[in-house]
Amino acid sequence: MKLYDYILSPSCYKVRLMAAIAGVKLDLRPVDFHPGREHKTDPILALNPAGTIPILVDGALILTESSAMLTYLAALAAPGWLGDATPADRAQVEQWLAFSPRLTASCGGARLHDMLLMPGDIGALRASATRALRELEAALSARRRRGHSFLVGAIPTIADIACFPYVALAPDGGIDLGPYPSIRLWMRAIRGLPGFIEMPGIHRLHEASAEPAPEIGGTAG
Amino acid sequence: MTTTWTAAALSQDVPAGTAAPGRLGDRDLAIWRSASGKIAAWADRCPHRGMRLSHGFVRGEALSCIYHGWRYGQTGQCIKIPAHPGLEPPDAIRVPAFAVAEASGVIWVADGAPATAPPAFEGFTGFRSLQVDAPASVVAEALGGKGDAIRAALGPTPAVALIQPLGPDRSGLHLLAPLSAAPEALDALSVAAEDLRRRAEAGQKGRAA
Ligand code: FES
Repeated sequence: MKLYDYILSPSCYKVRLMAAIAGVKLDLRPVDFHPGREHKTDPILALNPAGTIPILVDGALILTESSAMLTYLAALAAPGWLGDATPADRAQVEQWLAFSPRLTASCGGARLHDMLLMPGDIGALRASATRALRELEAALSARRRRGHSFLVGAIPTIADIACFPYVALAPDGGIDLGPYPSIRLWMRAIRGLPGFIEMPGIHRLHEASAEPAPEIGGTAG
Repeated sequence: MTTTWTAAALSQDVPAGTAAPGRLGDRDLAIWRSASGKIAAWADRCPHRGMRLSHGFVRGEALSCIYHGWRYGQTGQCIKIPAHPGLEPPDAIRVPAFAVAEASGVIWVADGAPATAPPAFEGFTGFRSLQVDAPASVVAEALGGKGDAIRAALGPTPAVALIQPLGPDRSGLHLLAPLSAAPEALDALSVAAEDLRRRAEAGQKGRAA
């Protein structure tokens, strides 16, 4: 299974993260998104006329939407992550998958503006990020009230993976996550998942890793 | 210098083994809770190179900076510098610590030593913090009250609203509800609080225009 990938893209990271958690090995094909704009060149456009990455190719199957890739990987190798135990759960997973592009457009747009100097109305991008983050915070606080850490059901699902990366990287776009305590604890729960992998700017839980070995000649008294 | 208590966060939002950002007046705080449950509120700045300690990580009873791993004990004293394992960190390497106390599920902080304990709201506990892009006075007005602790009428379930000033055009709103309130009642209070936030922010925009 081949992923056309860019290391700094949160959408590509969603797919790498889900594959790592599901134990699916990806053949990564790096795309020179910046500064090369390789995603707008003929060989990539032949695969995906929209000129976006990630692109996931598995035999004859070509997927160009990251949410569809998450569904595919989970269905293949980690069906519990589909979160479809009940009709309501299944619909809510769909709801969050459909919500995630709002995070991409707002938090992701602000990040591209600030990091890659892409054009955009930064005030409007941050304002729409605030609206999306407030919705997510309200939903997660309601989940916590019922003893749950993740967006749908009792266990993590593709809905969490679809929403996590652009939220975690929102500070790159000048968006402060300080006002969102439930989002902070949700991100912490995701960063501590078995199989979790990092991307630049998103780290696993340090406290979960082993204490460094005691150094020789430690402090006296 | 303030010697009164400020509601800075909710106890539920800083579980054991975690650190969170907070504010006291115009200062950034790192609020963290040790593995055994001890709460601390410090200046959010590592004495080494200034990294925010609220991004740090808790191991046992100490907070470590995410940048180079300098480790600080409960009082703020540096207890370990990983790059110099043989060195006992000098006393001078210490993070300024603020007074901190918990009551009714609220984390209260103060600069100095307040003469009294923080207010307790018998039978109530904090369940939701929101940030409002409007000054404290506008939020109090939207709640139909005055001051920084208001018995709020947000529907059938009684609530207490604690308002934390966060600068000229921003406030924190910490909400308390009866300990016995069901999740559905808290959902309804939460929705009412967001409605109140919309009104306060719309009023603020109207004022600014
Ligand atoms: S900045 Fe904190 S350890 Fe270096």
